[in-house]
Amino acid sequence: MSLFSNIFINLAVFAAIALGGGLGSAWYMIEAGSRLSTRSFGPWTTWTAAGRPEADPYTRAHTVRNGLLPLASTLELTYRAKSDSRGGKINSACDYAIVMEGFDSAWWNLAAFDARGRLIHNPADRYAFSSDTVMRESDGRAIISLARDARPGNWLPIGGGSRVTLVLTIQDPALAAAVYDGASPKPLPPIERVACR
Amino acid sequence: MKPFALPKPPKWLREVGWRTVAGGLLLGGIIHIVATLAVPLAGQGNAFAKLAQALPVNRMVILAPPSPGKEPLPFLTPDALYAICRYDISVDSLQVTAQLAHLGWTLSLHTPQGDNFYVMPAQPARRSDVVLTLIPGGDRVEFAPSQRRIGAPDTNIPSPSTEGLILVRAPLKGLAWRAEAEAILRRASCVPIKR
Repeated sequence: MSLFSNIFINLAVFAAIALGGGLGSAWYMIEAGSRLSTRSFGPWTTWTAAGRPEADPYTRAHTVRNGLLPLASTLELTYRAKSDSRGGKINSACDYAIVMEGFDSAWWNLAAFDARGRLIHNPADRYAFSSDTVMRESDGRAIISLARDARPGNWLPIGGGSRVTLVLTIQDPALAAAVYDGASPKPLPPIERVACR
Repeated sequence: MKPFALPKPPKWLREVGWRTVAGGLLLGGIIHIVATLAVPLAGQGNAFAKLAQALPVNRMVILAPPSPGKEPLPFLTPDALYAICRYDISVDSLQVTAQLAHLGWTLSLHTPQGDNFYVMPAQPARRSDVVLTLIPGGDRVEFAPSQRRIGAPDTNIPSPSTEGLILVRAPLKGLAWRAEAEAILRRASCVPIKR
């Protein structure tokens, strides 16, 4: 192999490692996060330092790049789920059930968005349930049904034939502190897939 | 039986020197750090840039409730009303007043980079009237973790930036509560005061 082709190959590999590795790893750490900046509980993932002025660079870049305006994670945490508890992507062709229990003293909100954070159009004009609006069972639990078509009880529409991202916001400083400090907080609700079409 | 043998790498790959790989990894690390630190400075798609053009300066505005295609920001809690003030304290300080009526309501102050340097949540079972003065705050030393505040009683809040956003979030308990929430948000204000 000639000297010219040897130099060309080495330059190409150098550029691929530097640009691909550098930009690719930065993109992954900013978009998906890692154990340095996020914690996962089943299907739910949260950026533990979101909104804090002293947040790590990945969290700050994630906030800015996605156009988010989070409250400081000292007060409330926002968890996102793109998959159900069995690991399958959440999509509008399936029905899901989420049972909220154990968060009686906290304000919480569960909302459904598409993959880019936009609301999913539905004739009921319903996009979320909160601790104030959800109907509870006699034992205090709140069962939320996510489905394309209407369901009795707490029906959260997820029509549209696309991927769905669920966002669970819990305003509980004690829980937020436990998550930030790496402790094991009270378990978050599983996302059970009920049926698919 | 043939002994196990690793497949031979292609010839071009054998031409790649270890210095090339090491240099690529080193430069890749530098690019990774620079890219990560540069994103918050770019400011193109951040929340402040998205909202600022539609907002008057130093005046509280109630946003239309989020609906499909009209979300002010991605992943914003949808069943809530929002009052927002784009502030500029380069000349005057700013007096902020708001009432936090129910659990879930919050008053929060954000820099253009999205840092939430102050947040006041509503207290359970009682309404809280918040009055605070936003003043220029100096450098980032102000933001050591021990100095962060959640609903601290002091009324002078130093802002790390001369511009930013003040957000009052009012989760709706249902449609019947919307008029009440709107009336409370209409009383929220951000007014310049002489220093």
